[in-house]
Amino acid sequence: MEDGSGSPELFVFLASTVHDMKNSIAVLGGTLENLLDKGDARAAQDASHPQMAHMLYQTRRLSDNLMQLLALYKEVGKPTYPFEPVTVPLGELVHQVASQSRVLLAAKDIRLDLEFAEDLLWTLDEDLVIGVLCHAINNAVRYTRDRIRLSIAERDGMLECRVEDNGMGFPPSMIEAGASVGKGVNFLTNSSGLGLFFASEVARMHKRRQRGGAIRLENGGPLGGGCFVLQLP
Amino acid sequence: MTNTYITASGAPVAEISGVEWSEKRYLIVDDFVGIRQLLRESLRNIGARHIDQASSGGEAMTLLGRTHYDVVLCDFNLGEGKNGQQVLEEARVRNLMVPSSVWLMVSAEKSVESVMGAAEHQPDAYIIKPITEGVLLTRLNRVWHKKQVFQEIDAAYIEKDYLRAARLCDEQIARHKVHEIDLMRMKAALLLKAGEPEKARIVYEKLLEEREYNWARTGLGKIRMANGDHDAARQMFQGVIAENRFYIDAYDQLAAALELMGRHEDACGVLEKAAKLSPNSVPRQRNLGNTALRIGNVQLAEHAFRKCVAIGEYSIRRTVDAYLGMARVCGMKNDTKEALRLLAIAQRDFPGEVVQLRSKVTEGMVYHESGDYRRARKSGDQLEAMLEAEKQRPHTATCIEMATLLFAVGVKDAPVELLCHVVRNNHDNTVLLDEVQKIFDKARMSEEGVDLIAAARKEASEMMNMGVLLWKTGRLGDAVAWMRDSRERLPDNMRILFNSAQMLINHMQQQGYDEALMIEANGVLMHVDALAPGQQRFAQLVEQLQELIPGRGTAEASAAEDSGAPQ
Repeated sequence: MEDGSGSPELFVFLASTVHDMKNSIAVLGGTLENLLDKGDARAAQDASHPQMAHMLYQTRRLSDNLMQLLALYKEVGKPTYPFEPVTVPLGELVHQVASQSRVLLAAKDIRLDLEFAEDLLWTLDEDLVIGVLCHAINNAVRYTRDRIRLSIAERDGMLECRVEDNGMGFPPSMIEAGASVGKGVNFLTNSSGLGLFFASEVARMHKRRQRGGAIRLENGGPLGGGCFVLQLP
Repeated sequence: MTNTYITASGAPVAEISGVEWSEKRYLIVDDFVGIRQLLRESLRNIGARHIDQASSGGEAMTLLGRTHYDVVLCDFNLGEGKNGQQVLEEARVRNLMVPSSVWLMVSAEKSVESVMGAAEHQPDAYIIKPITEGVLLTRLNRVWHKKQVFQEIDAAYIEKDYLRAARLCDEQIARHKVHEIDLMRMKAALLLKAGEPEKARIVYEKLLEEREYNWARTGLGKIRMANGDHDAARQMFQGVIAENRFYIDAYDQLAAALELMGRHEDACGVLEKAAKLSPNSVPRQRNLGNTALRIGNVQLAEHAFRKCVAIGEYSIRRTVDAYLGMARVCGMKNDTKEALRLLAIAQRDFPGEVVQLRSKVTEGMVYHESGDYRRARKSGDQLEAMLEAEKQRPHTATCIEMATLLFAVGVKDAPVELLCHVVRNNHDNTVLLDEVQKIFDKARMSEEGVDLIAAARKEASEMMNMGVLLWKTGRLGDAVAWMRDSRERLPDNMRILFNSAQMLINHMQQQGYDEALMIEANGVLMHVDALAPGQQRFAQLVEQLQELIPGRGTAEASAAEDSGAPQ
């Protein structure tokens, strides 16, 4: 068999296949959301309800992973990705993130606390940042008992976005992985490696007056569980 | 002020924008039926009731031609035929969208191809699939808000009143922090259009202090290029490309800078790279084809023109240049038959006198290059007859092309007349005059050329001086009439056109508004803008003209400096 790693045709083929899959997954996820969202009361009593909620969670994971793979294929953080910072009021940013997670959280009976300064403006690549925060919330769904908190505030001239849960917290190995992302350590052995790598690339792309963004993982905080932190200049 | 929401269902209510989205007409364009259904569901959830759907670019065009839509959600990848960008371009060019309509471009991923459309036909926003209602509503409201902020600026822009538009940008920046970057970007572009590169430079530099914006860095490069500092411009564009390998505009600009430096081989290489990265641009493939022809790379030229024809098929930007260029390539490959077939297509599909002339030139060149001098001479004679019958002359570049061919095939009077026409209309453009002299040299008419150029220049400057003299001696009406005649004789002479417009405006400033003079002055200025956009004097005159419109004048207008003397 030939080594196809350098073949541009193969890359084009793979990329268009992923496109095609994304369309199918989008339909799958959207249909599940509609089903979960409609007749609430009736659905909640249905035995299949929790299974459908779990299907939605899995669909989201697939969709996020594909999106991240595509973006990485386009080399996020490298010159090949059309990075586009726009000025956004935080209220609009949070609204978009929360609305994307709404059905899944409701289906799983998870409460989302939001804390942010409504009118604070920040300049960022909106699609990338929404992608990172939604992925972090989706992750937290797996670890939380029943509460997730998204808080965004300005701290020392940086925008700090925190996604916290009230679960058991991250194991030490993951906190380390979070700290070493982008420093040449092979974090991809970890199941959440792709997401963390993607998030750190997104953070690093944001630059302002020689300062760059960063991510980290912590335990504790108001809810006492795990916490994903995204800092943007 | 920090807001805390605790909500089981998750989302804070979207900001109330005052837009009744439920009353609008929507069009969804996607080749994937499942996605269309999802999008329709999302639209219904925000209250929409009138929703149409199209599964291809062609179908979308039919619907857009029939119904006025307030919101279009269009996928970028539409399978065979037009892509989303081409649908948008055609809808804009054919005026199927009104300024208040919203165009959202949807794509499965954020790729360079899907977000780097033609600069003048950008959608109002890009959205990545999967689309949720929250994102959709937020982006719709934001676009609507932005359209309100830009409404007056856009109107001034359409009137080509660039200086007033730039001042409006300043007013809006003070009021709407959230659109500050877009407004500053617009302001810089307006200042460039108004021929105020120094002021544009200051805006770009201020933006770059905060963050590295590719377009701001490229804008600085363009200013350097316009100032004649081609090498500094080249370095800036190369810097942008080193930072962002996919920022296509920087490649096109870099190629232009290299052309200006006479580095045609390098320019061709840059365009080739750009065309590889983003192949679906008609103008880029056309430029590549022409540049390749210029350096004699027939194979590359053929490839570029073929691609240009192919993508042009679905595009409103389809250009006759591709067919003429392709015909030249066929001629060079000794396939005269195919060349003539292409020229027939060009004349059939692109009506207009200039295409007839240009086709005839190309035909002559094809015969000439294939060694059929008898037929080349015949084309030359036919061209001469056509020029005799038609008094209007095409653009300078075409005139020069025609003169070159006519000399090559042994015709003499017609090319001399064409070149004198070029000189009269560009009597103070020394670079161009050198080029004309070289053509005379090649035709073994060096000395006659010197005399002809001198005579044509003298004719133009005498005409101008007489107009200014009439003006300065207070014979306003005579001066205006004199310049009117001069324009007829020298229709493309920038200084005559500018002075003519200036006198018309001053006439109205001194003797009152006059509808006929207003229309005349406007016509002159629009002609100037078509010949050479981005002139400072153009922007100043348009502004003076706008202020003459009854009811338009402001206190600010009377305070504006009076630069009213013909030059």
